[in-house]
Amino acid sequence: MTVQMIFLAFFGGAAVWFGVVVFRTHSMVRSALALLFSQTAIGAMFLVMQAEFLGVLQIMMMATEMSVMAIFMVMFMMDPGGMGKMDMTHQKRLSLWAGGIGLLAALLLVWLPDWGPVALSVPGAHEQAADLGRELLGRSMLIFQSAGLTILTAMVAATMAAIVPNAEQRK
Amino acid sequence: MILELMIALSVGAGLFGIGLYGALSQTNLVMIIMGVELILAAALVNLVAFWRYLHPDEPAGQMFVLIVMAVMAVEMAVGFAIAIARFRVRGSVEMEEARELKG
Repeated sequence: MTVQMIFLAFFGGAAVWFGVVVFRTHSMVRSALALLFSQTAIGAMFLVMQAEFLGVLQIMMMATEMSVMAIFMVMFMMDPGGMGKMDMTHQKRLSLWAGGIGLLAALLLVWLPDWGPVALSVPGAHEQAADLGRELLGRSMLIFQSAGLTILTAMVAATMAAIVPNAEQRK
Repeated sequence: MILELMIALSVGAGLFGIGLYGALSQTNLVMIIMGVELILAAALVNLVAFWRYLHPDEPAGQMFVLIVMAVMAVEMAVGFAIAIARFRVRGSVEMEEARELKG
C-alpha cells in the first residue's frame, strides 16, 4: 500500500462523507459548507493524482461557488438555520432506490472491466500546464471557444431570467 | 496502481449515487442544484482518474475536466437565476409548488 493510495482513500472517503452530510443536516448553511468540504476533498484528490493545476483550480473555483450558494441558501430558505427541523424531502423511497441502483451500477462498471495497463508516471506540473495550453489553443480550440461562448450566453440568460417583468411584459 | 484507479472510480460512483438521491429527493431548488453539483463532481473525479492512470500523456483528458467545470458554473448561474425569478414572483423556491413553467 503506497502513501498515494492512503491519501487518495482518505480524501475520497472525506468527499463521500461530506456528500452524505449535505443531505442529512437540517441546516442549509451547513449543507452548503459540507458541499464545499466535499469539493475541496475532491480538489485534494486531484493533487494526490498529480493534476496540480486542476486541483488548485477545483479548490479555488468551488470555494467561490459554494460561498455564493451559502448566501443564496440564507436568502431563499424558510428555515436556513434548520432550527425548525423542517422536512424538505419528497419521494424518499424512490430516491433511495434510484440512488442505490445508480451507485451499484456505477460500482459494477468500475470493478468488472479490465482497465488494461496502468501508467506509472505522469509529466511534471510545468509540462502538464504547457501541454494543456497547447491543447486548448490548438486541437481543442473550437471546443474551448464554445465553452466560453456558452458561459457568456448563460450569463446573459441568467441576467434576463432574474429581471422582474413589469405588468405590460407579463401579458 | 490499479487499486488507486479503482479507489478514485469508486469515489466517483459514491458521489454519483448520493447526488442522484439528492437531486430526486429534495423539494428545494437550491438543494436540487447541490445534488446535480455532486453528480458533476463524480464526473470530474472519473475524468482525472482516467487521465492520470490510463492516458497521462494525453492533455485532452484535462481539457474535458475544464469543460465539465464550465458546465458546473453554467448550471449554477442559470439555476440561481431561475430561483431568483421564482422567489420574486411566488416568494418560495419549493419545487412541490411549481406545476407550470410560467413564472
